[in-house]
Amino acid sequence: MSAGTTTFQKWLPIIQKYQGLVGLIILLVVALWKSPHTGQPGAIFHSTFYTLPNLSNIMSQLAVPGILAIGATFVILTGGIDLSAGSLLGLLNCVVATWLVKGTSTPVTIAYVLVLGTFIGGVLGAVIGYTKLQPFVVTLAGMVSLRGIAYIYTNNANISGLNDQITVFESPWLGIPIAGWILFVTTLLGALVLAKTVFGRRVYAIGGNTEAARYAGVPVNRVRIGAFAINGFCIAVAAVLFTARNSNGQPSAGMGYELDAITAAVVGGTALVGGYGNVLGTFVGALFIVCLNVFLILDSVSYYVGQGWKGVIILLAVYLQNLGRRV
Amino acid sequence: MKLGLLSIAAVAAWALVGCGSDDKGASSASTAGPTSSATASTDNLPLVAFAQANSTDPWRQQFDAEIKAEAEKHKAEFNFEEQPGEDDANKQMGVISTFMVRSPKVLLVSPVTIAVQKEVEKAFDAKVPVILLDRGIPGDKYTVHVGGDNVEIGRQAGEFIAKQLKGKGTVLMIQGISNVDAATDRKNGAMETFKKYPGIKVVLGDDCKFQRQAAQNYMESYLQKGEPFDAVYAHNDEMAIGAFQAYDHFANKPKVKPLFVGIDGCQKEVIDMIKAGKLDATFRYPDPGPKGLQIAADIIKGNMPKDKKVVLPTELVTKENADKYLAENPNLAK
Repeated sequence: MSAGTTTFQKWLPIIQKYQGLVGLIILLVVALWKSPHTGQPGAIFHSTFYTLPNLSNIMSQLAVPGILAIGATFVILTGGIDLSAGSLLGLLNCVVATWLVKGTSTPVTIAYVLVLGTFIGGVLGAVIGYTKLQPFVVTLAGMVSLRGIAYIYTNNANISGLNDQITVFESPWLGIPIAGWILFVTTLLGALVLAKTVFGRRVYAIGGNTEAARYAGVPVNRVRIGAFAINGFCIAVAAVLFTARNSNGQPSAGMGYELDAITAAVVGGTALVGGYGNVLGTFVGALFIVCLNVFLILDSVSYYVGQGWKGVIILLAVYLQNLGRRV
Repeated sequence: MKLGLLSIAAVAAWALVGCGSDDKGASSASTAGPTSSATASTDNLPLVAFAQANSTDPWRQQFDAEIKAEAEKHKAEFNFEEQPGEDDANKQMGVISTFMVRSPKVLLVSPVTIAVQKEVEKAFDAKVPVILLDRGIPGDKYTVHVGGDNVEIGRQAGEFIAKQLKGKGTVLMIQGISNVDAATDRKNGAMETFKKYPGIKVVLGDDCKFQRQAAQNYMESYLQKGEPFDAVYAHNDEMAIGAFQAYDHFANKPKVKPLFVGIDGCQKEVIDMIKAGKLDATFRYPDPGPKGLQIAADIIKGNMPKDKKVVLPTELVTKENADKYLAENPNLAK
């Protein structure tokens, strides 16, 4: 027994660090022999899951939730949470669609939305800093208000009539949609910022222990505003890709996506209390969830059974995270 | 003890695998027969995949029940699989593109919104016949669209109310979501008819979002105003029920009970209320599932549909034919 315990204690930090990856690998191995067989050329082991069309399918489904999850990771690392991400996505989706339908050029529209998203994110961070309210409460208010603004902005109607201006993000390059490449780049940039910059270290510091960070001279409010602004920027990027995929603007778009983003971060090993985790893990977490969704459909598992399992997996991920820390 | 956790993880992973195989039979509508042999034989059958908009409201529940019952009749010809899209166009697009990985012989889609158009067109361009159920999409890149005609239903509902009131009276219209076609069509059709009857006055009520509770709240406030009305025309049954419940609890009822007319006819509760004389009529909003699946079966046999649009007829349900309607429609939502 004691030998077993020490082995486990030796491996625990590694499993915790790479829990998303461990889950993903288990899933990928299972998919290798469990998904239906196909005669398609190029399919690995004749598995439907391992075909080029499915790779493209997974990547085009991954881009939006993946980028949202990268943004959410910054906020969660500071010990915060953002419940307004889905509403902001919906609002920015409507802004992109409206501007493009009005005839504004694509680069101008994208630039405007990126600035707007970053600004709104920064404002949320600032409000938290100045009011000293919980991020949960402030972003809950943001969730309600931004959704309302989306409905007012569109006069409670969908915006259609987009030409093919921004569908370029959906077209493939080397078998993967450009939206997927944008997710790769966003992930790498996020990882660099967190690992190699002073700002990145400070994000971890205030998430680990806000008071200690403050006494150590970390400008807590400014770092928090920065994290929320990065989150807003990511939401804006996701909104552009979302619009490219849907070719319209819907004030109701993105409902519940904030929870998907938080789930990806948690499954990827980011601790909800802050201070622990990284965006590479989040990327793997988001990939795991999309692969799981796709695998369940390919394997004819009922949607509701799939939902039940997702809950179990989230619980397992959080439990693993907490092991050895609550002692 | 902690070692046990690793095994929990392992068990969860294995259970996931096990659940994959257990569920194969259940969700592909071929529950009968031993699972192992069913799986072996059904693997060679063509796949008919259905991307549903959602599986939550009563009309969709009946829709699901009927399409599954129809699939059962064709289980020797094809495997039927369905996935809901959570009423989120983006998620439904993911469902469609994942289905496409499995090269279905026929794809059925009940679009959440027209936003799924691109994904439907991709499937159609890949030479997969696409059958749209209920809501349509713009353009012509689909094989056939099966659905009801809400304008016609509105016209008939208007006609029924006007006849019952003998061409004279006030109709309170309780409306559905203002930017949804079903609501505007049901309104415009009825207004078309009411214009022919100069004695009919229409009061346009609030947007009650197709919800029972919202209609009940609205009706409670409306009754407080004390303005007389002779009929309530609700854009769906749920709102007709809500309006009736408010009326039922109201103390100063008028001498003559007003008419309560709804649309959809997909719930047993509604038909029972008609039998009990609480509601007066509903118009069936036809469920396109069985017809759509029959077309899919024809396509697999090599008969492509000739028409691009199939309009399903409505049916008036009143106290007279309520029992017959119940007998003919065993899959009504509870």
